[in-house]
Amino acid sequence: MTLTLDEVAEKTATFLEGKWQCTVDVTKIEKIFGGASRETFSLDVDVDGRPRGLILRRDPPTSLIDTERKLEYGAYVAIYPTDIPVPEPLFLENDSNILERPFSIMAAVKGAISDVAGLDPDQKKRIGREKWQLLGRLAAKNPLELGFETFMEVPELDQCASGVLAYWEKVINEDQIHPQPIALAAVRWLKANLPPPAQKLCVVHGDYRSGNLLFDPAEGIKAVLDWEMCHLGDPLEDLAWSLDPLWSWDDPAKAGLLLPHHEALEIWEEHSGLSVDLEVFRWWRVFASLKALAIWISSSEDFQNGESKDAILALAGWVMSSRQNRILLDYLSPHAASELAGALA
Amino acid sequence: MIPNTDKALRMLSQRLMNRLLPDLETQYFQSEGMVMGLLMEAIADEVATGIDRRMKDIADMKKLLLNGRNYHNADPAVDRDPLSLSLNDVNKVHDALTGHLIELHIQVEKDGSGEATELNNDIWRYLETTAGRHLITVMG
Repeated sequence: MTLTLDEVAEKTATFLEGKWQCTVDVTKIEKIFGGASRETFSLDVDVDGRPRGLILRRDPPTSLIDTERKLEYGAYVAIYPTDIPVPEPLFLENDSNILERPFSIMAAVKGAISDVAGLDPDQKKRIGREKWQLLGRLAAKNPLELGFETFMEVPELDQCASGVLAYWEKVINEDQIHPQPIALAAVRWLKANLPPPAQKLCVVHGDYRSGNLLFDPAEGIKAVLDWEMCHLGDPLEDLAWSLDPLWSWDDPAKAGLLLPHHEALEIWEEHSGLSVDLEVFRWWRVFASLKALAIWISSSEDFQNGESKDAILALAGWVMSSRQNRILLDYLSPHAASELAGALA
Repeated sequence: MIPNTDKALRMLSQRLMNRLLPDLETQYFQSEGMVMGLLMEAIADEVATGIDRRMKDIADMKKLLLNGRNYHNADPAVDRDPLSLSLNDVNKVHDALTGHLIELHIQVEKDGSGEATELNNDIWRYLETTAGRHLITVMG
C-alpha cells in the first residue's frame, strides 16, 4: 500500500494531535525533491489556530536499518542545544503502522535556501567563512560532553581511520555492479598509508557540504541538515569531505563553490583549535573521494536491484562515479595532469 | 524507418525538459522530470558509443594482460571475445578482463621491480584513458 499525499497529511495531523493534545490541521503538504535516502515532506500546519512549519522525513521502502535512523535523530537532539544550528527535532516514530514506515518530524527552517549558485561573490565569501567556522566549532566540541556515547559507538583514536575505511570498503565490495579498479587501487593505497591516531575524537557530520546547509543570503547559515552519516571520529574526516573537488566541479579553485581552499582550511584551524598536517590530510582527502565513490556505487546498485526506482539514484550513481573516478586518478595516478590536479595540490 | 536512436532519445529528452516539465504543477515532479531528462541524455551517449568505448577498453586491457602475464596469467580471458556486440555480452567480457586487470595491478604493486613499476605505470595510464573515455558530460 502506498499512501497518497492527502493521506500522509491526514495521518500526520492525527499523530500530532495525539502528541500535542490539541487540534492540528495540515493546511499544505508538499513532497521535497532530493532526499534519496528518506522521503521528505514540507507541511504547513495549524496548531490550535497558530501556524507552524514542519518537515516530515519518512524511511524509503528499501529502509535503512533502525540504528541509522536512531543515530541521525540522536545527533539532532544532541546538537540542537549547541551553537551549531540544526532544525528542532520533535518526534521520532518507529511504529510502521502510522505512516507505513518509520518517520521523524522536525521544525521547518523557513525562508532559507540551500543553493549557493545564485549568491553574489560577497555573499559566497560570507557564507563560506561561516560554513568552515561552524565545522571548526563542531570539531572543537567534546562529543562525550554532548552525550553522543549514549547512542553512538566510540572508536579508539587509532581506529578512526581504519574503521571508516573498512566500512566503506565493504560497501564497495558488496554493491559494485561492475569491477572497480580505481576504487580498489585507492583502498590498497589507503591501507598501505594509514594516518597516525586522530588528534582528538569529534562529532563527524559525515556529509558536510554546501548543499546540506540552509542559509539566508543576507543573514547567514540557519541550519546544518542531513546528519544521517554522523558518527564519532577524526576531525579531519569532515574537513576533507567538505573540500572534495566534487563539490566544486564547476569552479575547482573554490571549495564548495564558496572560498579558496586555503582560506577554508585556515578558518577551520582557527575555530577548531586544531592543526592540519598536509601529509595526514592527503590520506583523508583520498578517503573522502573513496567514500563518495562508494556512495555513488551504492546508488547505482540501489537503483538496479532495490525497490526504489528514483531516477536520481541512477543519475548520481552514473555521473558522480564518473567524476569521482577522475578525482581519485588525480590524487593517485603517477601521470595525473587534468585541470583538477592544481586545485588538489 | 527507425529514427536514429541516440538522436531520438536526445530529442525526447529535450521535449520532456523544455515542453512538458514547465507545465507540471509541483517542483518535486519538475525536478524528477529534469533528472529523467538528463538520464536520457546519458543513455543516448551510451546507445551511440557505449559498445565502441567498451571494445576499445577490451583491446587495451588485453594488451596490458599479455604484457603482464609473468605477474598474473589471464590467458583464457584474453583469448575470449564477446559472443555478440550486444551490451550484455560486451559487458561480460569487459567485466572479466577488468577483474583480471585488478589482479595484475595488485601483483605488480607487490613486486615493485623495474619491470613491474613500468607495468604499474601502464595500468594507471589505461585507467586515465578509460576514465576519460567514459566521462559523462550531461551535467557539464
